[in-house]
Amino acid sequence: MRRISIRVQAYFVPPLIYCIVRGGIFIDKKEGLIRIFSKDIRNILRQVSVDFEQVQEIRLRVHLPLLMIHNNREFYVTSDGKLSKVAEEAFRVGRKDLKETLEYMSDYSLYAFEEEVRQGFITIQGGHRIGIAGKTVTDANGIRSMKFISFINVRLSHQIRGCADKVLPYLYDGREILHTLLISAPRCGKTTLLRDIIRQISDGTKSHPGVTVGVVDERSEIGACYQGVPQNDLGIRTDILDCCPKALGMMMLIRTMSPQVIAVDEIGSREDLEAMAYVMNCGCRLIATVHGNSMDDIRQKPVLRELVQERWFERYVVLNGRGGPGHVDQIYDSRGSRLDWPGRRVYDN
Amino acid sequence: MTISFFLKAAGCAMMVAGTSGYGSWMASGYRQRMELLIGLRQMIFLLKGQIIYANAPLPEAFEAVGDRTEGVLAEFFLRIAGRLDAQQGETFCQIWKEEVELIDKEAALTKADRQSLATLGEHLGFLDREMQERNLLLYLEQLDLVIGDLRERREEKCRLYTSLGVMSGLFLTVLLL
Repeated sequence: MRRISIRVQAYFVPPLIYCIVRGGIFIDKKEGLIRIFSKDIRNILRQVSVDFEQVQEIRLRVHLPLLMIHNNREFYVTSDGKLSKVAEEAFRVGRKDLKETLEYMSDYSLYAFEEEVRQGFITIQGGHRIGIAGKTVTDANGIRSMKFISFINVRLSHQIRGCADKVLPYLYDGREILHTLLISAPRCGKTTLLRDIIRQISDGTKSHPGVTVGVVDERSEIGACYQGVPQNDLGIRTDILDCCPKALGMMMLIRTMSPQVIAVDEIGSREDLEAMAYVMNCGCRLIATVHGNSMDDIRQKPVLRELVQERWFERYVVLNGRGGPGHVDQIYDSRGSRLDWPGRRVYDN
Repeated sequence: MTISFFLKAAGCAMMVAGTSGYGSWMASGYRQRMELLIGLRQMIFLLKGQIIYANAPLPEAFEAVGDRTEGVLAEFFLRIAGRLDAQQGETFCQIWKEEVELIDKEAALTKADRQSLATLGEHLGFLDREMQERNLLLYLEQLDLVIGDLRERREEKCRLYTSLGVMSGLFLTVLLL
């Protein structure tokens, strides 16, 4: 009887520890995120009882309802922290809320995000990306700064370990990693997938040893570095060049860190292409992501068309967000022919 | 030679010593204030470097400067860094003003020094780096003026405080005798 009792206890202990640790992480993540909002919004979000791992976006618009995208569905957030479908019940965001939120999310230092503000987003601790919009101040060189910031979109970053498990075998040819391009529309999970691909390539898997990976993290979204320390796990053989323009960063990494694989997010400019050609000619493997809906979409884009025509990449992984982020629709080879891939979600958000 | 004479002499000596001590304390306070302001000037220079060249956000910049220096002002910088880091829902200006008030009352800063330091906090944090630099430079200019003035009058003031201390002691002695 005593032995059975010990066995039962042992059976329950690991899940219990898991729940405590995971619960702690959730609380930390929620608290860490809530700190960036104004006092009033913090108090509201603290009462929201949903799992923040499932929250994708929180939107603030001046004098308009506070919105939350949870599990791919949009909700109004009420003053008592409930998610509602009725607009009238929603908490309305004031100018003061936006001003305060901006102060907290920039660590009281909006000046330190001058370049990011110019581009319209700030990446904060944890890798969450905050989109901002307001009145732009322009000069001859383009956008100089932004004032009267009245719209804020907080996009939550999630690291999902193992989400690349099913895709990864398609990205190898024997022991060699193939040049890979992840194609996806926004909010379909390309950065999440890229993050896990990097981690697994760097750490190594049962069938493939780990290799040195260099990451150019222009927007701090992949590694989510805070004071130089990555907040996301990108593997033990990964070097990260944080907040560095992609084209410059790729060249720099080749010269300084001798990576075997280089990973970048959201390529698209002519300079990016030149740097990618340099990387590929150096014998380095390249894994990149790009905005697009399908292979045909990429074939029609002026700069990216060349990539497909000249067969720069050996694998194209297309995500389409069907039924939520993480749905890999198709995987193509260098000629654009479909590989035998069933079209499925690689993770549940 | 009675006991009352000895008591009077001892009282006079103590009075002169007391007033002289007070004079010296005033002179040393003057010197301490000057040294504190010179230290503050150096800290603001370091802060400017952190903001302009390292592009560090305020919590990081204050911590870096606080770590590299010592004394009441270093503690003040570190306390601010801690509160900014904690993000308890207070604005920067609020935190700054509260912390200026909390600077050790024994520290040799005058009310005007504290007020001018409190005003600096009203303009830090927002807008661009150029604006931060201008604000810090403006404050540095004010500090330079005060320090220059203190330096110029140091000899004169210190001598005045010391001599006034001794003289007032002697004057009171004569008056009471």
